[in-house]
Amino acid sequence: MNDEQSPIKKEQEQMHHARRNFLKQSAFLSALAIAPPALVKAAEKNMDEQAAAFFEQKALKLEVNGKPYQLSVEPRVTLLDLLREQLHLTGTKKGCDFGQCGACTVHVDGQRVLSCMSLAVMQDGKKVTTIEGLAKGDKLHPMQQAFITHDGFQCGYCTPGQIMSAVACVREGHAGSANEIREYMSGNICRCGAYPNIVKAIMEVKEKGGNI
Amino acid sequence: MENFFYNDDDRVTGPEVVTGKATFAAEHQVPGVTYGVLVGSNIANGSISALDTKAAERAPGVLAVISHLNAPPVPGYEPPKEPEKLPAGGKGLQVFSGPEIYFNGQPIVLVIADTFERATYAASLVKAQYQTNKPQTDFTEAGKSVEAVPGARYKDNIRGDAAAYKTAPVTLEAEYIVPVEVHNPMELHAIIARWDADDKVTVYDKTQGVKSTQRSIVSAFKLKEENVQVFAPFVGGGFGSALRTWPHEIAALLGAKKIGRPVKLVLTRNQMFLMVGYRPYTLQKIGLGATTDGKLVGISHQADSITSMYEEFTEGSVNVSKIMYACPNVFTRYHIYPFNVSTPTWMRGPGEATGTFALESALDELSYKLNMDPVELRLLNYAETDPETGKPYSSKFLKEAFELGVEAFGWKQRNPVVGSMKEGQLQVGYGMATGVFGAYRGVAKAVARIYADGSLVVQSAVSDSGPGTATAMVQVAASVMNMPKDKISFELGDASMPPGPTQGGSATTSTLGSAVFAVCTSLQEKMAALAVKNAVFYANELDEIKPSDFIFEDGFIVLASDKSKKISYTELLKQNKVNQLEATEESRPDGKMKDYVAYSYSVHFVKVLVNPATGMVTVDKVVIAGDAGKIISPKTAESQMIGGAVGGIGMALMEEGIIDNRYGRWVNNNFADYHVPVHADVPPIQAIFVNKPDPLLNPIGAKGMGEIALIGFAAAVANAVYHATGKRVRDLPITPDKLI
Amino acid sequence: MINFDYVRAASQKAVTDLLGKDPTAKIIAGGTNLVDLMKRGVEAPEKLIDITRLPLGKIEQVDNLVHIGALVPNSELAAHPLIAEKFPLLVQALHAGASPQLRNMATVGGNMMQRTRCTYFYDTVLPCNKRKPGSGCAAIGGHNRMHAIFGASQNCIAVHPSDMCVALAALEAKVMVSGNKGERKILFKDFHRLPGDTPAQDNNLQRGELITGISIPLAERFSKHATYLKVRDRHSYAFALVSVAAALQLDGNKIQDARIAMGGVAHKPWRLYAAEDFLKGKSATTQNFKEAAALAMKDAKAYEGNHFKLTLAPNSIVQALQTITRNI
Repeated sequence: MNDEQSPIKKEQEQMHHARRNFLKQSAFLSALAIAPPALVKAAEKNMDEQAAAFFEQKALKLEVNGKPYQLSVEPRVTLLDLLREQLHLTGTKKGCDFGQCGACTVHVDGQRVLSCMSLAVMQDGKKVTTIEGLAKGDKLHPMQQAFITHDGFQCGYCTPGQIMSAVACVREGHAGSANEIREYMSGNICRCGAYPNIVKAIMEVKEKGGNI
Repeated sequence: MENFFYNDDDRVTGPEVVTGKATFAAEHQVPGVTYGVLVGSNIANGSISALDTKAAERAPGVLAVISHLNAPPVPGYEPPKEPEKLPAGGKGLQVFSGPEIYFNGQPIVLVIADTFERATYAASLVKAQYQTNKPQTDFTEAGKSVEAVPGARYKDNIRGDAAAYKTAPVTLEAEYIVPVEVHNPMELHAIIARWDADDKVTVYDKTQGVKSTQRSIVSAFKLKEENVQVFAPFVGGGFGSALRTWPHEIAALLGAKKIGRPVKLVLTRNQMFLMVGYRPYTLQKIGLGATTDGKLVGISHQADSITSMYEEFTEGSVNVSKIMYACPNVFTRYHIYPFNVSTPTWMRGPGEATGTFALESALDELSYKLNMDPVELRLLNYAETDPETGKPYSSKFLKEAFELGVEAFGWKQRNPVVGSMKEGQLQVGYGMATGVFGAYRGVAKAVARIYADGSLVVQSAVSDSGPGTATAMVQVAASVMNMPKDKISFELGDASMPPGPTQGGSATTSTLGSAVFAVCTSLQEKMAALAVKNAVFYANELDEIKPSDFIFEDGFIVLASDKSKKISYTELLKQNKVNQLEATEESRPDGKMKDYVAYSYSVHFVKVLVNPATGMVTVDKVVIAGDAGKIISPKTAESQMIGGAVGGIGMALMEEGIIDNRYGRWVNNNFADYHVPVHADVPPIQAIFVNKPDPLLNPIGAKGMGEIALIGFAAAVANAVYHATGKRVRDLPITPDKLI
Repeated sequence: MINFDYVRAASQKAVTDLLGKDPTAKIIAGGTNLVDLMKRGVEAPEKLIDITRLPLGKIEQVDNLVHIGALVPNSELAAHPLIAEKFPLLVQALHAGASPQLRNMATVGGNMMQRTRCTYFYDTVLPCNKRKPGSGCAAIGGHNRMHAIFGASQNCIAVHPSDMCVALAALEAKVMVSGNKGERKILFKDFHRLPGDTPAQDNNLQRGELITGISIPLAERFSKHATYLKVRDRHSYAFALVSVAAALQLDGNKIQDARIAMGGVAHKPWRLYAAEDFLKGKSATTQNFKEAAALAMKDAKAYEGNHFKLTLAPNSIVQALQTITRNI
């Protein structure tokens, strides 16, 4: 939490290149003996950039929808892009990529968070639930069913984020009234304007109670 | 044909959407896909003098850096025929075709890399130098230092006496501003482009029209239609922004061609403001004249709007004044002015939403001058025939909509005195306004196949960006075929299907529904032709049974004269040993409408609460009554009306695109600074339909709905705010600072 | 975004050591602002130090102080029974900020460290002294509807965007900081700073220092009559045009003490000392509230786009005070 200014500066870029060049030149010599197959392969093909990048990846253990993953990611990869582009779990949506719309909402260790503002590498050891992990087999989660019943979406793009947020809203105890739901769902933007129907869906799930 | 429609019309896309399985443009798994990122210009006017792409090219994972210096040619990019004239709408920006810069953020470079992160980083390394001219983005200069685009289409339109309104006993003149508003569908515009051969391409695209996108690519790259495949099974909203093919789509195709691998290109939210259209800023001057008892004598409506430096854009902003009210004297003028901005495009309720804000606000102002209820004033000037042509309406149930709305909203509880209603410390305002939009029917083709297992599949090459087209078409098919809707699927989003309309202008249900009606009817004829030979219908050999003797009931072909004689669709196919029956039909407008005009109408009633200390406005209650003809799919129709109201809350209270004129650069092109409504801004919204079929427009009786849901809404809010506070806000949006 | 190095800090000392060694390193916790800034190229640290596994997540009462660890998420803080009981003003302010998802991620320390939301700060193409010292302030003469009316300088008119901090200013919290030279406490009013000639610096934290937590003195006399009013362009999930954190100690209708701070009006949470002093000993009447608000506005200065704040700010002060005295 320091406040040092560091806009992109030439010096930094040069430093960055210097570090990369060092990795490129030294990587093969020092690392081949202990290198995993991917690196050896890269080295054989003289794909030095790929080799350099290998060293800049971090190991990451993650449980997504109950399934364990052992991954290696660049630190700059967000949880959202990891899910969508590497794990092909495209149910989690990119709507703004800047924490301003809620389309990317997932649960991490049971809490609703924005995956676009979460670095994947920081989630090491955590449990992630996405929209794909909400239904039990073919049986829809009550919130999913309620969204269909109350027509809580039109185009459907913000919907996974709305549903993940809605489930959390009820679990947190923030679905006590229509007004409370509106406030606690305000982090999820729907441009089609399905809001009133979403509120109805959440009210129904809340009123039915049970373990959601 | 007796139409019936299921009321339990859950969206057919529901299960896929709520489980995250619905596949949007950027989500198709394409082997070997690469990532493209666009670099925008930093200036608004001038040209690129030098481009340094070395660092980007050297960056890890980068496969290509494409600009005007090295882009493959686009054969369809032709030089303008009259270089001194602003090109007509539809030409678009010719991406990477030269160093010229017309607007800030104009795509100048495409970086392609093996991952999204690497492409994004490399794009940040591109450095451009410019020869810079002073940008012109100050829209208040329209008609001053910026001259109007000349042309025959901008000539004045006069009915009766243009100046009549000025001589009326009661007159009103006022200026209204609708700022730039941006569609901002939640799905970022995205495309995956893959060349399957030198002359063959597949794209997964965000588009409101798979066929129109196909045509654009065919024309840009001079390809055969059958060699351009376009898929859009799910489209995450559009509101007009995906009605045309934009530079980023051509850029992705160029990139994929250059590297010989598929390219995925997703715009950033910031870029969504810059290159996929917006509702243009429009300044409107309204003049109204009326008799002391409220009859309109004259209307004058002038609009000055904006376009880009490289293309004309026009919309029907002033048309509402020609058609809404019975008024003998109407003057309209519409001009556009070129600025250093990208080209606007139709945004929900195009033109009419802009024009109606002015006209319906002015009507409200007039009602106070006349000391007359705003609903009464509108009924007094109700047009029984089309004011412009004198033709009758194919149907018009606006009066019924007024009645339904007044009743449901409790309009009569409104105390007409401004500022007289209170709830605690809050000022209460009731406002209303009307919306109108043409009801259209275009050309569409569909194919229907019924299988021996009893299932029916109907297909047409259309997109659905949210209204629920597949849901509505299943309703039409179920109604015509008289069979359970769970046996029916409607498939879309594939350009190789029979051509359907682009989803826009509130015409999809009318146009496509007519084709589905036709193709299902045709399929029934084929089934009837098979059935006439079937023994089940014959008591003795002398009977003569014609196809017209049948009716279709609940999945059975039934002999009308003896309902005990029937055969199920499934059994019919089985007995005839056919696996499937297929019909293809094209539907186009027939001659019935020649002497008629058709419009859809909405009436918006809004209650607002205004905090006089902070200026914050709460929309507390909304009723919209609509005349949209026969309602095909009640649940999705209601949702669409609610969605229009939510869009209207945004337009009325918060949406405004802002450019810093010193740099010609957007300053609020993101969702934190450009506000759209959130849950907390939206009360329960009641949507009501007259639900009477239009007898002439098409065989299913539907008019249109997407536009009227929004058109007029902002005026209703502004009128309610005036009623609450006595403050007439004529420049949208009505933010707190304008009310304190 | 450059592909920075990522280090997970095992101890506070490791954090301060790393910060000392690497001038481009930055701390990350919730990431709700830093990741945003890195995506836009406003920040480009070579190294990120992840402190989220450090044991700084406690909320506890020790004597007359409530200690809140720097890593307590905003949502957890707002939901904590001790905070709800002792500092309803803080709970209201927390709920007024961001969205539930962001509040689950954002930490107390990070909330204090968030940068301004001035649009020019985020656009690396345009001048901004805060982002690039010496480049100029594009907000002056530009679009400055959201900007400061108090304490701005010719170099910067940005505002601090936090809601939580406005309440903490009114509650006179202290910031606990740990660095190479040991630990120190900073009064909340001295934590954030005015832009002056060095707008790049948002606060008085030294290079290499880490916020470990805050402590708030118990002040039950203020807890009954307190409110946080936030005026914004929509009803939720928007930054403040202005906000008011107000707390009164009342004896019947008589104001014994007052704490008022504003957000959205200055480069830091803005305490209204003159208004507070004026109200002490006065009756809780609208007239007195108006006079206090007028005093608060004495040094206000508006720019092209934010003249309305000269009316909105005093209106909001009066409204907040009326709200907390409505039922006395």
